[in-house]
Amino acid sequence: MTANPAPPNAAVPSSKETGKPLLHVDQIGIAFGGLKAVQGFSLNLPTGALYGLIGPNGAGKTTVFNLLTGVYQADSGQMLLDSQNLMGSKPHRIAAAGIARTFQNIRLFPGLSVLDNVRLAGQLRSSHGLLATLLRTPAHQAEEAAIRKQAFDLLAIFDLQDRANEPADSLCYGHQRHLEIVRALATGPKVLLLDEPAAGMNSQEKVELAQAIRKIRDQFQVSILLIEHDMGLVMEICERIVVLDHGVIISEGTPAMIQNDPKVIAAYLGGGVEAA
Amino acid sequence: MADFAQTLMTALAIGSLYALIALGYTMVYGILKFINFAHSDIVVLGAWVSYTLANKILPMLGLNPHNPETAPPLWVGALILLSAMVACGLLGFAIERLAYKPLRRAPRLNVLITAIGVSLLLQNIGQLNYVFGASPQKMPALMPNIDLLRLSLPSGDGYRDVVIGLVDVMIFATSAVLMLVLEYLVFRTKLGTAMRAVSFSTDNASLMGIPVDRVVSFTFVLGSSLAAAAGFLYVMKYPGLNQPAHSIWVLLGLKAFVAAVIGGIGNVRGAVLGGFVIAFVEQFGAFYISSNYRDVYVFALLIIILLVRPTGLLGSPVREKV
Amino acid sequence: MAHSAPETPAKVTMQSAETRRSHDSIWRGLLPLALGMVLALALQFVLPAIVGQYNSRIVMDIGIAMIMAVSLNIVNGMTGQFSIGHAGFMTLGGYTAAMLTYYGSLYMWGAPPAHGHFLGAGEWMMAGACIVGGLVAAGAGYVVGLPSLRLRGDYLAIVTLGFGEILRVVLQQTSKVIEDPAALKAAKWSQLFPPPVGGAIGFADVPKYTNLFWVYTFVTITVVVAYRLKNSSLGRAMISIREDEIASQAMGVNIARNKVLAFVLAAFFAGTAGGLFAHESGVIISPKDAGFQRSFDYVIMTVLGGRGSITGVMLAASILTALPEMLRDFEQYRLIMYALLLIIMMLVRPQGLFGIHEIWQLWPGKGTRTVQKKA
Repeated sequence: MTANPAPPNAAVPSSKETGKPLLHVDQIGIAFGGLKAVQGFSLNLPTGALYGLIGPNGAGKTTVFNLLTGVYQADSGQMLLDSQNLMGSKPHRIAAAGIARTFQNIRLFPGLSVLDNVRLAGQLRSSHGLLATLLRTPAHQAEEAAIRKQAFDLLAIFDLQDRANEPADSLCYGHQRHLEIVRALATGPKVLLLDEPAAGMNSQEKVELAQAIRKIRDQFQVSILLIEHDMGLVMEICERIVVLDHGVIISEGTPAMIQNDPKVIAAYLGGGVEAA
Repeated sequence: MADFAQTLMTALAIGSLYALIALGYTMVYGILKFINFAHSDIVVLGAWVSYTLANKILPMLGLNPHNPETAPPLWVGALILLSAMVACGLLGFAIERLAYKPLRRAPRLNVLITAIGVSLLLQNIGQLNYVFGASPQKMPALMPNIDLLRLSLPSGDGYRDVVIGLVDVMIFATSAVLMLVLEYLVFRTKLGTAMRAVSFSTDNASLMGIPVDRVVSFTFVLGSSLAAAAGFLYVMKYPGLNQPAHSIWVLLGLKAFVAAVIGGIGNVRGAVLGGFVIAFVEQFGAFYISSNYRDVYVFALLIIILLVRPTGLLGSPVREKV
Repeated sequence: MAHSAPETPAKVTMQSAETRRSHDSIWRGLLPLALGMVLALALQFVLPAIVGQYNSRIVMDIGIAMIMAVSLNIVNGMTGQFSIGHAGFMTLGGYTAAMLTYYGSLYMWGAPPAHGHFLGAGEWMMAGACIVGGLVAAGAGYVVGLPSLRLRGDYLAIVTLGFGEILRVVLQQTSKVIEDPAALKAAKWSQLFPPPVGGAIGFADVPKYTNLFWVYTFVTITVVVAYRLKNSSLGRAMISIREDEIASQAMGVNIARNKVLAFVLAAFFAGTAGGLFAHESGVIISPKDAGFQRSFDYVIMTVLGGRGSITGVMLAASILTALPEMLRDFEQYRLIMYALLLIIMMLVRPQGLFGIHEIWQLWPGKGTRTVQKKA
């Protein structure tokens, strides 16, 4: 990595020191009609942690992400980020509070350039309003320049800076996934939620991605929760893993514990019924 | 009492017209998820086709179309109604095939803009001198002006006559028959099941072997012929026929759309309910508050309903898949 | 933005950069405006001599159409909402401004006809009235924009259409214009309801102050604002709403606030354009101006020019305003042509002439490719 952007949350007192987890989720759940999509989901994510969230298809993993980011409002439970209550908050408030995410089915802004996709996050921390924008005050100009520089620094993580002015949808699939991560980082998150970041990548790309994820965690001091179907990747980089099936947590622990948990094996093999 | 009864009668007649038009909006929205802006122009066309046919047929029977005293036998009216429905049904089919079908996969905004384009096109072609022209006309009477019922009811200090005319009853009865036919088609036939399947998910329906294109075409034909019927009935009640691009037509269509939204867009029964709700609010508001602002009541109701129940009275909530 | 993020890197670097900048930057920010006003002055004095009064008048109409189309593009093009009631805001602003100048003139000078010469007291009063008209329209924009928080695109279209039509109906119920200065001085405040602005026949005898200078000064302000918005954090937030609301929220964009802001801004400029329109000679502003037909004209300009392209929309506004003047004999075919144009555009080139690009970005060698937009 060439550039070295300052960790966005360097000034925030680390919750490690206070002994409390950074993200504390207690018994959240949601039902669609009569279907209980997620039930009693709990999670304690310390600062700088790298956790995995796995489970068979339709287990409710993405629904958990949607609950954590406010896309869906949880029916019950509790959600605290650095002791700040997030229950019932709108998605943009949660993003401002410090939870950023990527999407399983890539959701970049196709009509914006690669650079603008990343620069967009600048408006979140901008202190200038409409009038400064319209008058182009020097302070506003300087801020825009800083946002631009920060965007280029972040793009450098995945060597995307040379393609900054191309439309986002002209990138190949793997680069679009990278850009989603960069875009999420640009909001200056404390917690980063990655939804299947390795989907559609070959084994070489997966190795590079694993390195990049670790690097991001160390350099930005963010906590990462990732959903992934590639067990090799999850077992290699995650410190702890939560296993979800039919909307409930069936197991939680270190990769070694998960690998040997008969309940997990049963869930994945489906007792021979849902093996396909 | 008398005033109340009279307003009630008007509201029922107008409400069934709104319901007929709203059905077309709601069916198209249910299936293709866009507002067919050109729908109100089909109503206009239905009215003008009826006018043109009446002026051709009445002289053939030796009647003077400009004499309101001589009404032709009822089968003439029925014939004109059916012809207008067929003509507009065909037009609806053509519009869907030419303008909307190529945009099946396009963003919804593009389809909406196209619909506005089709609407402008129909209005302004209709205005051309060698089509319908740009001056208002008077619709010949197709039904005898008979009072079916004349009641004397208390009003203020004395008594006043409440008249239930043949026209009002015919409007209500014809609409009721058409709505029952539609109800049967949508909920009791194979085609109706296919329609509901397509409105649930176009992709899944086509995977299940449902001929989506044919179902969509059928929906347009159905909606357009109902609109033509509404246009015919409208000029039966209000024979002063406005030019095709007159804003009175746009407001008629707009209110019918509001009816569909209030009832819960995509919901066939909701459209009928919405039509009557709108008509009651409009007619009673006009009578008891001020008739100058009758359109304002309808839109105020729309905004209230949308804020309280965004999916309408009978609509079910939808979630976007993330 | 009211977010109180503790210490962000953006802020730290910002302060050091700020000290490096010279203090005259604020004036540099106003430079485009000054240039635009010089151009407007030149138009005012040179154009009529070259192309004649009649054609100058068309150029004036083009300017008003540009303000309307460029401002509508903030809502329809940038933010991806769909407003078809823009003429409603225009007419509301127009009536407000006309009331101020008409009754202001009657009160101060005893007669409504134009007072003073070029850049005289009367013209300044008109300019001020246009801004007040813009503010009133912006207030209405706020109210109309509110449902956009709850409603998806096409429902919103109906609400905006309904707004224009309701305004038309309400304006028809207004009372007669007070023509006598003595009657005005004797008038009571209660006579403001309904306002004396002429009812269905329109507001006649509004002083005619609008000229090329004022029109193009307001055009400059509108274009500069739209351009700066498009190239700012705020503008990118609006564009991201157009592209994908869910992703936009996840990036911390307050979509409700930004949508309403777009509506308020667009309505403000439409209101000022309405003020200029009401004071144009040969125009009697009337309730039908609020109707959907005029709104559609502006929608067509934004669609044709390219949703998001300021210069494209300006070009479309020029063509679609000048063309009917040249085709006067074919008046009844004008709207048929418009309609066909819309339908064919959607089938063949749905992104508009320029898509999301500005004219200079289309020059070869600039390295920008056309982005096929899929929403």
